[in-house]
Amino acid sequence: MATNSDGARNTKYVTMISGDGFEFVVLREACLLSPTIKGMLRGSFSEAKTGRCVFPEITGPVLEKVVEYLYYYHKNVNVPYVPDMEIPVELCLVLLEAADYFQLDKQMT
Amino acid sequence: MSRQSRAQRRGAGGIMGPQSALTDFLASHNISANQIRLDAEARRRAAQNNPDGSGEQQDEEATATVTENATATATADTQYDPASTEQSGRGQRNAGAVSKTEKQKKEQKVIEKIKASKKFQKRKRQSGDSDDEDDIARAIFQERSAPLPGQMENCALCKKRFTVTPYSRNAPDGGLLCSRCGRDLDPDDGAPKKKAKRVNAGAGKRRQIQSKILDGDYHPGAKSLMTLCIETLAKNIHLAEDLNNLAPQVIDKIARKLSKQRLLNSTTLSLFLQPSAHDVFIYDAAKLTGDDFIRIFQVVPGLRKLKVCNAIHFKDDIMDYLLSRHINLEAFHLHGANLLSESKWREFLEKKGQSLQSLKVYWTDKHFGDEALSLLATACPNLNRLKVSHNQKVSGEGVMAIAKVKSLQHISLDLRLDVHPDIYVSLLIDIGAGLETFSLTRVPDTDNTVLDAIHNNCQSLQKLRITDSEIMTDEGFVRLFTNWENKPLLFIDFQKCRNLDQAEPRSNPDNIGLCSNGFKALMAHSGKKLVKLNVHACRHISAAAFEEAFSEDKVYPDLVKLEISFCEEVTDFIVGSIFRSCPNLRELNVFGCMKVKDVKVPQGKLLVGMPTAIGMVVDGDD
Repeated sequence: MATNSDGARNTKYVTMISGDGFEFVVLREACLLSPTIKGMLRGSFSEAKTGRCVFPEITGPVLEKVVEYLYYYHKNVNVPYVPDMEIPVELCLVLLEAADYFQLDKQMT
Repeated sequence: MSRQSRAQRRGAGGIMGPQSALTDFLASHNISANQIRLDAEARRRAAQNNPDGSGEQQDEEATATVTENATATATADTQYDPASTEQSGRGQRNAGAVSKTEKQKKEQKVIEKIKASKKFQKRKRQSGDSDDEDDIARAIFQERSAPLPGQMENCALCKKRFTVTPYSRNAPDGGLLCSRCGRDLDPDDGAPKKKAKRVNAGAGKRRQIQSKILDGDYHPGAKSLMTLCIETLAKNIHLAEDLNNLAPQVIDKIARKLSKQRLLNSTTLSLFLQPSAHDVFIYDAAKLTGDDFIRIFQVVPGLRKLKVCNAIHFKDDIMDYLLSRHINLEAFHLHGANLLSESKWREFLEKKGQSLQSLKVYWTDKHFGDEALSLLATACPNLNRLKVSHNQKVSGEGVMAIAKVKSLQHISLDLRLDVHPDIYVSLLIDIGAGLETFSLTRVPDTDNTVLDAIHNNCQSLQKLRITDSEIMTDEGFVRLFTNWENKPLLFIDFQKCRNLDQAEPRSNPDNIGLCSNGFKALMAHSGKKLVKLNVHACRHISAAAFEEAFSEDKVYPDLVKLEISFCEEVTDFIVGSIFRSCPNLRELNVFGCMKVKDVKVPQGKLLVGMPTAIGMVVDGDD
């Protein structure tokens, strides 16, 4: 993954890093679904330059689920009948917070 | 059609007794439900007399077996109790010796045991404190004492006697297991059952989506992560302890979801009461008691906005409590509080009206009336939003009183008593200049004078609704929208403003209702900014008028929802033109437009209510 200045701008993938050090390499297109990440990857933020987004307050398992959701959404854009993604009950509340943080609360069209 | 005739028709249908559809069906096939019941009772009696079914003890005295059986099934369900099983075994052999008093004693014993059981506790919690403990225990006892069809058998593991049912499981080394041992044998038994259910749910999926489309709540693609989480949470709400860390808007979404599934009760209410909150929105308070409402005021001292739907138990003593607290509400929305008396409303408005900015009263039929409305002018100097919906007591006098509240910007009325149009006219003359919302639902008698008054007095209107008018004419609508100083409206609803002549439904010589010219004037004035338009059942708008309003050179960039159901002249061509002229349209309703037959729907748009077998169309072709 490119780490120098403008090289990361157009890479296909973005690295998302959880507070406890788990790294997820995610399709940029899928990431942009979240307005929060979209904002991070824009302009002259260090995340935009390096293509690495660190989320200190989010743990690995939660971030994993968020990434899973991003791909699930990406895969199902404009599909009329989409089966619901399984949400583990124990992660439900933290995932709610994460959804709020990533602004994944609206249906994108 | 007048209300009276509707009521008469309903009465003419005759009153049916409480008879089930099944009974009717059986009767039509010459089968008597009563006979079936009698047969079943006879069979049950036979089973009672011969619980073993083996035929060995058929001659045995039957008097005691009823209680025997009861003891056996009761213990099988609750706890393994060697003493009582042994006793029942012995009792069976000496059945003849058991006297009547002993039988009663045994029954009493079983009832005592039931009272200690979990099932009893649960049922007691459900039914509240009103029921007598003994009644509940006896009900459970009777449930259990009805003998199940099938044989008695000794469990292969615990050796306890139990009744064999179709669900009894086989023991690993042969023989059968009682329900308790069967459950213990395979603790993961619940999981596969759940999975099977989910597979079935796929069948109802299409219907669910169609229902969502009708609700105007459909989006293709996956649900948002938040929705998924909230749905999971709602399914497991009993596991949640508090929602402290979540943002208020998230909590509000959870509250809506829970209420939709009718899960809001005294226990789950606590999740939504946070001492630091300013807003409490309860969308379904049907299961809450008076104490719960008082708890809201206790736990949330900084309350500013309170909204309670289905607030049946919002009574006088709760209002008394609210009055005694230092809570000054800015917004108070109450739905269905029929038990709140008029005098308490008066007291509330007098004491707490000062801070009130928004008051919405829905479905409180009798006690919120003219007297309360007449207080608004003096008691609520800051009121800018007033909604009175489905009210049987407010009359013209109350509407006249509203005209004195100069601060009002939003008025929405849905009254059941007839109010003369002149009263609305004087209301508009008095406070029309400041109004942003003016909504009159179900006003069959309002005429053109109201439209003229709107034209002459309102300059800042954004939302206008007048429905069910049977007198207004096309000319009136043209006058309203021609050279009106008001900016373009964002929301217009003229549902069912049309001619209602039963004898000659087609001809409309006087141009009653919203017709061609009125519709053209409407689009010319407000089309640029219009977001939602409802001309449901304005059936005298001609095809030419539609074609002109949605011609090639017209664009309505903001229009999101258009409702043209039961406008008879709408054709395929018009629907296509609408999609062309409204680039951001999301939903178009065409119920009962029989000339719409085969339309291409652009991607991402919804056409609802096609009168063909296709039903709703969500298309992604183009």
